[in-house]
Amino acid sequence: MPRNVVLRRRLLLAASIMLSLVLLTAYFREPASGLLHSVQLGGSDTLSPMQSFAARAVQPFRDGYQWGRDVLGANARNERLEAELEALRGELVRLNEAGEENLRLKELLDLREAEIFPAGSTFVTARVIGKSPTKWQAWVQIDRGEDDGIRLNQPVVGATVSADKSLSGKGLVGKVIAVGRRSARVQLIVDSTSSVATLIQGTRAEGILEGTLAGRLIMDFVERDQPVEEKFIVITSGFGQIYPKGIPVGIVLSVGEVDVSIYKQIEVRPFVDFETLEEVMVLTTPNASVEDPAGMRTVVPEETGSAGQ
Amino acid sequence: MIRARLIEIGRYALLVLLAVFLQAVFASQLPLLGVRADIFVITVVLVAVGAGSNTGLVFGFIAGLTADVVFLEPVGTRAFLYLLAGYGVGRYVEEFGLASAWVVVVLAAVASLASQGVYGVMQIAMGAEGSLFLMIRRQMIPSALFGGLLAAPLYLGFVRLKLVHRPREAGPLFS
Repeated sequence: MPRNVVLRRRLLLAASIMLSLVLLTAYFREPASGLLHSVQLGGSDTLSPMQSFAARAVQPFRDGYQWGRDVLGANARNERLEAELEALRGELVRLNEAGEENLRLKELLDLREAEIFPAGSTFVTARVIGKSPTKWQAWVQIDRGEDDGIRLNQPVVGATVSADKSLSGKGLVGKVIAVGRRSARVQLIVDSTSSVATLIQGTRAEGILEGTLAGRLIMDFVERDQPVEEKFIVITSGFGQIYPKGIPVGIVLSVGEVDVSIYKQIEVRPFVDFETLEEVMVLTTPNASVEDPAGMRTVVPEETGSAGQ
Repeated sequence: MIRARLIEIGRYALLVLLAVFLQAVFASQLPLLGVRADIFVITVVLVAVGAGSNTGLVFGFIAGLTADVVFLEPVGTRAFLYLLAGYGVGRYVEEFGLASAWVVVVLAAVASLASQGVYGVMQIAMGAEGSLFLMIRRQMIPSALFGGLLAAPLYLGFVRLKLVHRPREAGPLFS
C-alpha cells in the first residue's frame, strides 16, 4: 500500500479522535445552557414526537411481551406479592396502633395529598417516551418540557394508574436533570450517581439512599444502633432542596452489618417498578429550579451534603 | 465522479437517518435480553465492512455524533467509540477480507462488545460506581449478542436497499 495512503489514513484517525475529545471536553466545560447542550436538547425535542408516537405504537407489543413474562414468572411473583402483602398488612396494623403514625400512612396512600408537598405544588403528568440505552445509567425521557413548566431538579413521582389505592407503584421516581422545550430527562433514584436524603418510618433513622450499577438501592449512613428491620418503609426526609419530606420511596428489603463499618448495610426495594414505568408525575413547585452548570450527571450538592444529618 | 461522490454521501446520510428512526421507534422501545439494541454501532460496522476503514471512520464519527444527540450522551462520547469501531472493522476487512458473510455478524457482536467495554471504562472514569464485571454480565455480553443477532437482518435489508456495499468475497448471507 502506498505510503501516502497509510499516512492519510492515520492523519484522519488522529484528527477524528482529537475532534471527538475536544467536543467531549467542551461539553463538560460549558454550562447547561451552552451550545452543545442546546443542540442536543433541540435534537431531542425534534425526535420526541416520533418517540412519543413510537411509545404508543409499540405498546401492544410491549404489553404482550410483559404478559408473557408475567405468565412465566407468575409463581415467583405470587409468592413475592403475598410476602409483600403480609408485610404491608403488618405495617398497617402497626400504624393503626399509633395515632401519630396513622397520618403518615394516609399520606402514603395518596401521593397527591397536599400535605405531602409544599403549598402551591402542582403536578404535570408525563408519558415516558424513552429510556437509557445502557445499564450504565438509569434515566427516562418524558414528553413534557420547559413549555409545560418542567424545570431542572424538580422531583418526579410514580403515577401508575393501576396502583391507585395501594403502595405498589406509587413512590419516588427521581428528579429532572435536563430540560428541553418539549421533553425532559429524569434521573431515576436507582442510577449509580443518584443520592436521596431519606428516613425510615418507625425509627426515624436518617440516611442517604444511593443507586448502584446493579439497579439496587442502598441506604447508607444509618447508625448501627438504629433498630431498623425488614419491611420498614423508607420516605424522603426533606433535607436538601430537591425532594419534599414524606414521599414514599421503598421498603427495607434487608439489613446487614459489617464489622469494619459504623453504619448498617440496608437494601431498599423501591415502590416503583422502573422497568414498566409508563407515566410519571413531575412536581412543579414554583422556584424549585436549580441551575446545574456542571452537566447532566452532577448530583446536587445540597442533597448529598445531608449525609449523616 | 463528483456526482457519484454526492450519491455516496446522500446514501450515508440516509443510513444515519434510518438508524435514528430504527433506534427511536423500535430499539429504544423493545428491549431484549434486558438491554436495548444499539442500531448505530451495527450500521457503522456494516458501512465499514463494505467501504473500508476511512469511510468507516468518518461514518462512525458522524453516526456517533448523531447517537450522542439521540441517546442524550455527552457530545463526543459515542463519536469517539464509533469512529474506533468503524476504523477497526474497516482495517480488519482490508487486511483479512471476509471469509463469509457470517463474519459480519461476528464483527457486529465484537464491535458492540468492544464499544461497550470502552464506554464502561469511560463511565467508571466519570464517576459511575460499581463492578465492571457485573456490567460485563448484565450489559456488555447481552448487548453484544443482541447486536450480532440484529446485524444479519439489517445487513440483508441494507444490501437489498443498496445502502451498503457487499464485499465480493463475502458471498450471500443465507445461502
